[in-house]
Amino acid sequence: MLRLSLEKALNRLIESSGIDIETLEGKKINLELSELNLALVFVCTNSRIFVIDSREVKNVDVDIKLNKDAFLSLLGGTSLDELLDNEEVVINGNVKVAKKLSEMLALSSQDIEEIISHYTCDIVAHQIGKAISLAKDKIANNTTNPIEAIKDEVSTILIAPSRSHFFSNKTS
Amino acid sequence: MAKTTHFGYKEVGVDDKQGLVREVFDSVATNYDLMNDVLSMGAHRLWKRYTIASSNVKEGDRILDIAGGTGDLALKFREKVGDSGQVILTDINGAMLEEGRKSLIDRGVFDVEFVQANAERLPFEDNSFDCVSIAFGLRNVTDKEAAIRQMFRVLKKGGCLLILEFSKVENEMLEKFYDFYSFNVMPKLGGLLADDEQSYQYLAESIRKHPDQEALKTMVIDAGFDLCEYQNLSGGIVALHKAIKA
Ligand SMILES: C[S@@+](CC[C@H](N)C(=O)[O-])C[C@H]1O[C@@H](n2cnc3c(N)ncnc32)[C@H](O)[C@@H]1O
Repeated sequence: MLRLSLEKALNRLIESSGIDIETLEGKKINLELSELNLALVFVCTNSRIFVIDSREVKNVDVDIKLNKDAFLSLLGGTSLDELLDNEEVVINGNVKVAKKLSEMLALSSQDIEEIISHYTCDIVAHQIGKAISLAKDKIANNTTNPIEAIKDEVSTILIAPSRSHFFSNKTS
Repeated sequence: MAKTTHFGYKEVGVDDKQGLVREVFDSVATNYDLMNDVLSMGAHRLWKRYTIASSNVKEGDRILDIAGGTGDLALKFREKVGDSGQVILTDINGAMLEEGRKSLIDRGVFDVEFVQANAERLPFEDNSFDCVSIAFGLRNVTDKEAAIRQMFRVLKKGGCLLILEFSKVENEMLEKFYDFYSFNVMPKLGGLLADDEQSYQYLAESIRKHPDQEALKTMVIDAGFDLCEYQNLSGGIVALHKAIKA
């Protein structure tokens, strides 16, 4: 649920802002928020981003580790350089790639803060809240039929995706 | 000795399965949508919506829906890819394709392409689709490994595969209810509403013979996909496997 929402938020940003994600193409970026017990892999390919939940992906290109406060200040617009200077973030791999992803996360900060806060709070409330806000967004953007948008979100809640498994077969 | 495979709970010759599956879908084609709604109590629509929401498809994409039947996914994909995209629906069965064509035309969609093809031998170029989907189709395919290899072949680098299929229920209580429903209620409803108890008995059996979540994930990875994750829906009655071609 969390991943799907993040995936939607980032790809919506790519489409609506026309942001250039060439730097990210072909890259797998692991983002670990230790306090939240959250490890996500952003797979950037075919001009879009997939958000995969896994600590099992061995072959990531970039590894970003930070705590909740650092993540929130990143979303708030603090630059990655500043966080690096203050040793609030640990990056292994290409810093340019890490920067690009952080910029995108900051640009989607409104969506993401809501997604994360609901991940850590009341999941059901989140799902309903998200359904409504996403539907509102879609109505506002007029990108698709509003009734369809609401149905999409509500159906996601009703069938309750429950578990996710993941692995990678490539070791290099 | 001739090679055999399963057709529901029966062992049949490998060469015979496709014909038997065809008979089932020839027989259910005209009532397919109605029976789907009744037997799944509408849930198949929600599972399909979740599949579309997970597809990460965007405007201009080229999509292949395999075993697409009456076109539920194709219709939704068409909305997502817009006029600059392309959706191709394939199915091995002419009667199902015909129902699909009618159903899309009834909904005012004229530009989804229909191709009659076996999932084991897709008549498309390598690396040519952004997304390939197969919903409730894979369990009917005789050589599933070959079909998944074909899906891998036709996907572009970075393309996404979605397999929506019945799977293994997670909870024991739910499993008991589900078994009772599948083997006692479903075929009877099939008999009552579509005068076709046998086909719905096959559907129930074929679900039980289908590889479970983990086994299917292994098959997908073995076909060459870099990443594969799955999501259980409705307690594992259905699972959505999502894989990415590196
Ligand atoms: C249960 S229906 C699913 C239809 C549709 N995808 C849906 O979700 O409503 C299964 C479909 O798989 C098709 N099918 C069976 N074996 C196939 C094969 N080897 N290649 C392609 N399609 C096949 C059948 O003709 C049938 O239309």
